[in-house]
Amino acid sequence: MSNFLDRLTFFSKVREPFADGHGITTNEDRRWEDGYRKRWQHDKIVRSTHGANCTGSCSWKIYVKGGIVTWETQQTDYPRTRPDLPNHEPRGCSRGASYSWYLYSGNRVKYPLIRSRLLKLWREARATRTPVAAWASIVENPEKRASYMKKRGHGGFVRARWEEVNEIIASANAYTAKTHGPDRVFGFSPIPAMSMVSYAAGSRYLSLIGGVCMSFYDWYCDLPPSSPQTWGEQTDVPESADWYNAGFIILWGSNVPQTRTPDAHFYTEARYRGTKSAVICPDYSEASKFGDIWLSVKQGTDSALAMAMGHVILKEYHVDRQASYFRDYVRQYTDMPMLVRLVKQGDAYVPERFLRASDFDKSLDEKNNPDWKTVAYDEATGKVVVPKGSVGFRWGEQGKWNLEEQESGGKDVKLRLTLDGFKNDIAEVAFPYFGNIEHEHFTSDDHPSVLKRNVPVKKIKTTEGEVLVATVHDLFIANYGVDRGFGGGHVAKSYDEAVPYTPAWAEKITGVSRDKIIQVAREFATNAEKTNGRSMVIIGAAMNHWYHADMNYRGVINMLVMCGCVGQSGGGWSHYVGQEKLRPQAGWAPLAFALDWGRPPRQQNSTSCWYAHTDQWRYEHVNVGDIVSPTAPAGPWDGAIIDYNIRAERMGWLPSAPQLQTNPLQVAKDAAAAGMEAKDYVAKALKDGTLKLSCEDPDNPKNWPRNLFVWRSNLLGSSGKGHEYFLKHLLGTSHGVLGKDLGAEGKARAKEVVWHDEAPEGKLDLLVTLDFRMSTTCVYSDIVLPTATWYEKNDLNTSDMHPFIHPLTGAVDPAWEARSDWEIYKGIAKAFSKVAPEVLGVEKDVVLNPIMHDSPNEIAQAFEPKDWKKGECDPIPGKTMPTVAVVERDYPNIYARFTSLGPLMEKVGNGIKGIAWNTAHEVEHLKALNGVHTDGPTKGMAKIVTDVDAAETLLMLAPETNGEVAVKSWEALSKTTGREHAHLALPKEDEKIRFRDVVAQPRKIISAPTWSGLESEKVCYNAGYTNVHELIPWRTLTGRQQLYQDHLWMRAFGEGFCVYRPPVDLGTIKPVQGSKPNGEKEVVLNFITPHQKWGIHSTYTDNLMMLTLSRGGPIVWLSEKDAAKAGIVDNDWVEAYNTNGALVARAVVSQRMKEGTLFMYHAQEKIVNVPGSEMTGQRGGIHNSVTRAVLKPTHMIGGYVQFAYGFNYYGTIGTNRDEFVVIRKVKNVDWLERPAKDAQPVIGSAAATAAE
Amino acid sequence: MRILKALSALLTYPSEALLEALPEIGGLVERDTLLGKADRAALLALVAHLQGGDLFDRQEAYGLLFDRTRSLSLHLFEHVHGESRDRGQAMVDLIRVYEEGGYTPTTEELPDFLPLFLEYASTRDPKEALDLLGQPAHVITALAERLAKRSSPYEAIFRALLSLAKAKPDAAALAALRAEPDPEPDDLEALDAAWEEEEVRFGPGAGDACGKDSLGAKLRQANRPAPGMEPAGLAGPRTTIQHSGSRL
Repeated sequence: MSNFLDRLTFFSKVREPFADGHGITTNEDRRWEDGYRKRWQHDKIVRSTHGANCTGSCSWKIYVKGGIVTWETQQTDYPRTRPDLPNHEPRGCSRGASYSWYLYSGNRVKYPLIRSRLLKLWREARATRTPVAAWASIVENPEKRASYMKKRGHGGFVRARWEEVNEIIASANAYTAKTHGPDRVFGFSPIPAMSMVSYAAGSRYLSLIGGVCMSFYDWYCDLPPSSPQTWGEQTDVPESADWYNAGFIILWGSNVPQTRTPDAHFYTEARYRGTKSAVICPDYSEASKFGDIWLSVKQGTDSALAMAMGHVILKEYHVDRQASYFRDYVRQYTDMPMLVRLVKQGDAYVPERFLRASDFDKSLDEKNNPDWKTVAYDEATGKVVVPKGSVGFRWGEQGKWNLEEQESGGKDVKLRLTLDGFKNDIAEVAFPYFGNIEHEHFTSDDHPSVLKRNVPVKKIKTTEGEVLVATVHDLFIANYGVDRGFGGGHVAKSYDEAVPYTPAWAEKITGVSRDKIIQVAREFATNAEKTNGRSMVIIGAAMNHWYHADMNYRGVINMLVMCGCVGQSGGGWSHYVGQEKLRPQAGWAPLAFALDWGRPPRQQNSTSCWYAHTDQWRYEHVNVGDIVSPTAPAGPWDGAIIDYNIRAERMGWLPSAPQLQTNPLQVAKDAAAAGMEAKDYVAKALKDGTLKLSCEDPDNPKNWPRNLFVWRSNLLGSSGKGHEYFLKHLLGTSHGVLGKDLGAEGKARAKEVVWHDEAPEGKLDLLVTLDFRMSTTCVYSDIVLPTATWYEKNDLNTSDMHPFIHPLTGAVDPAWEARSDWEIYKGIAKAFSKVAPEVLGVEKDVVLNPIMHDSPNEIAQAFEPKDWKKGECDPIPGKTMPTVAVVERDYPNIYARFTSLGPLMEKVGNGIKGIAWNTAHEVEHLKALNGVHTDGPTKGMAKIVTDVDAAETLLMLAPETNGEVAVKSWEALSKTTGREHAHLALPKEDEKIRFRDVVAQPRKIISAPTWSGLESEKVCYNAGYTNVHELIPWRTLTGRQQLYQDHLWMRAFGEGFCVYRPPVDLGTIKPVQGSKPNGEKEVVLNFITPHQKWGIHSTYTDNLMMLTLSRGGPIVWLSEKDAAKAGIVDNDWVEAYNTNGALVARAVVSQRMKEGTLFMYHAQEKIVNVPGSEMTGQRGGIHNSVTRAVLKPTHMIGGYVQFAYGFNYYGTIGTNRDEFVVIRKVKNVDWLERPAKDAQPVIGSAAATAAE
Repeated sequence: MRILKALSALLTYPSEALLEALPEIGGLVERDTLLGKADRAALLALVAHLQGGDLFDRQEAYGLLFDRTRSLSLHLFEHVHGESRDRGQAMVDLIRVYEEGGYTPTTEELPDFLPLFLEYASTRDPKEALDLLGQPAHVITALAERLAKRSSPYEAIFRALLSLAKAKPDAAALAALRAEPDPEPDDLEALDAAWEEEEVRFGPGAGDACGKDSLGAKLRQANRPAPGMEPAGLAGPRTTIQHSGSRL
């Protein structure tokens, strides 16, 4: 029997074990598995990014489920790099990943909010009045105005409807434009690159009504004036991938792993490749551990260190031995061969201005701009020649503005670097020395204030007779104190002589041992020599926040230039701070500043403006005498710092807003009545005194800013240098200013500015803030508008850290009543068009603009500047004073204009940085792409209705995103340089990047002459690359990297050449120290505000995760030694104060800190766990409560090529690192949880109001 | 359960529309049979309070309490998930609960907004409604206590909800919520305790050293069962609002 029939042929037993009994089959319910499956299911993934003011610019995947954002992860689809270069991924840090909660956070602003007192007044007034009249009835009544103004920062918000708040805002704007002038409506928003459409929304609205867009880069103090001074360019830097190409990297004051997290991997990868790295910073930072060597420099003395390294490099590579790569580089690409006049001062000479072609008989045959062409000796012929490339060749002629080694006539030349051995004389030249200025907290020495050093010179015949000249090269080396055998004093043969600027000298000042200085300098230069310039400095803005920031930066730039590192792959100056390259800038500017409707826009440098209008100038302890050079040319050099700003505004150097004491709409009418052109009328009226510049009397109510919009910014919190002064004078609310203004002393000192004995308190009628969180600025605003978060709107984002453009896209609709910035401003524009006809029609607006960089006007004042007010010259618009233009404002049609691409793009075209091209073709494309308006005043024009329309507009117009435009712009540049450049973009001529393309994947931008680097398959983006490799001049006077600054004010303030300047004494300690003792010990420390680990970049420290990971509230860091001196232990509540105000925080006592410094990481909010201050009686303040902006005259220079003004390009900067504070333990921690004194008992007990 | 609709309305921003409806709400409260006398009296006091005085003051106070004070947020998950990623998923699940009940929330509010939650409950039959109410009982208790600390008449709503639900809040969950730092910290010791950092320990027993309440909001998600993990066939909503300490 086979049992065949007992065996199953087609089945097995269901529950038979298998796999040796390891497997069984069950039929249990498996629906529980769905839980796991569904947990990570989602409806869609949307690409967006974080528009924090962070250079990261990381693309993220946003996961959406049921209309709700559930989580986010890093995008990993960046286009690959070329072989042998690491990819950009992963980008995105843990801080960014903590963002998705923000959408639904309890801290979100959900509804339009308004101060209830203002709303009550408005509704009462509006019941019987038209909108503008209603607003007038409130602000023209001092009691009504004060009733809501005094409550700023004290709570009291209620919800309001969008229609209502829009009407209030529009009425306030219309009233202000009509009554005071449109230039009294201000708007502040930073860093367009991080969300350029959102920026453009507000700036377009403001520009259409004639309002003022304020700069941010200089105000944030991230703008290095040294960059335009040297290169005529602002913050053009290598992308982070280029770090990988470097052979030696110095991290100088930069904390890459902590603050540039998504890019830090390139630094790590470079080190795997064998790159050596030195880290220079006072504290043992996160970056220090990356260094092969760490130099713990005394804070604020970086320029001394850089000068000493420069001394070593010059001595070993330029003097004792001449490295041919370095010598050829400085000959062709720097001003070193150029001749400088020397003039007698006392018994020595001082370097004066560059010699120009016009100094010679028949101007050396230069017909065009001979005042603006510098000269040098040719080695072969021994004759003075006019090398191509200086700015004189840029304007008024074509084909010779380039860096070919030729003279103007086309003959090859080899320029002579030194006059040594060229039948020369030796002369004693005086250099200023500031290292002997005594400062309680910094080492000084006793070298004389004037260092006379011997320099080879030559007599030369000019139209003014015989003058003595020297080359920049010879002066430059003498300035470093390197002995070249010319005899005389103040030069060193050995590094051990403590002569400025030897390593031994620097050791005393900086605390860094001389052998380390010599080692790093040598390795840096040796690497550069062997690799043709692959040595790089990644520089942190920390060094730019000192009063004498330019010396820190120029010291470093000098090192890079003398080693031929700028413009070379893997080399150069890497300053990644704040600007975040707005790559499609040329396409964005017309949209953002409404250049399609009227030109020029009103743009104001914020630092000067806030200095004046928050009355910080009234407290200025820095005297011009403290900073003027011992070798300054004759001149009074007196007055207050603000006086220099006023002179600068008057001479057309810096912008001015408000501009004139008279409403500019009225000025246009007056000019017409006088039958004159506006520019002639303004010049005449200024001269005869009929018109006055507003800047001369900032405290006069006629000159106050009246309305202020803040969007994408925490202006009063993280960015409010002199926070307490803002509160006191601009807002007119309670404040913590501890010091007194200068009073009679200030009155006596003022030469130009009108001093009022009583300073105004409360200049602004209306402060409107757009934000998605209740920031410090929102708390002080009159109206808070809830804006869309970064996952709720469409926008574009670029950075200087990588070459890609990628979007923000709306993953979900804005939650609650939030709207995108574009929709908000569109709504305000609509409301404005509705209310404006009550008081405004089509108006003519007289706009004053400074002399602009990269415009033909930039060659305005060739020699000593002259002041028309003092009768030294006539006021000539665009030459000796601001330019004057008339712009037509169609106030009833602001909305129609806002949503249409105006006619000027076709009529006038577009351009950037002095290059212009026709845009008719792009406008046609846009009409087809966005559609056209079919009726109304803008019938037939391309629509810009939605945020996507706006993005398409800028992408279409920009050379970086439209290959056809790129080719056009290169061709336009070729005419000026006489060299063919279009090959750089021709392969991409047909490429047109559209919004949907970048939504699909980040796109690499197209090379354009807007920038000095290339996007190609051969090199990483690196600044100065096209200057060196395409021979396009830098946009400076000499057309070269300019190491000598010959402007009168640069010489007067001792910065013709780079020198060491110690921090300045701001005088904020003595007047208040010990004024309110609480029995605790005190210690005085240098107040430093670096970027932190526990915030989403420089804002969003109110993120609960970040707070949990740090200490849950404001903290300051200090060293163990300082803590011991003041009897402070870790986690104590401490107070830091000076005349500017006070702040309260917990102490973090750490070995990592350098003695003498106090760190308060940037931008901790006043709204999170801040108790009261014993000094002020107010809530404890923020990091900016103890700061005040201090201006420097050299940053006000204009009308002079690279010194001519540009928005976010040049201008005064808000320095704050020279500040000291008194720190002590808090005796009684008072949370001030009591109702404000005048509060009505609202609900139940006192605690519920918490309004103090 | 119209009383829930009334409580929902009372808990919204005091708009003109709400003001107009106050007499109607007051009437409903007076006639209500489910609430005790004391609860009704407290609710009527709230109604009277809202009716009296200046509307702007009432609005300011509401904003300060519920919009600006995080520990009084009316979004339930603020107190349950804090800023964890789980919050998004929890909201997704809650929307599904509403949709299964035949309602789609409008987009102006989040699904965990207490007045919205109450309005949904008001559409359910009493048993289901009270069951729903019972789930966030610990949150409601904590909010009631925090409002009591501020002597706010809004406390009445939360007390009424607790009376209706008759649910005993999960003790552990409530204790955890009570230990959360209160952003109006008059009590310095409590504040210090909340901020005190845990000693870092390694090796055996290290796990016990974690889970400090002040870090609880962040760590809760690790302890919490994944949503949708309930045994199949369980009646009622799939997402339950519960605190970390508790398990089903």
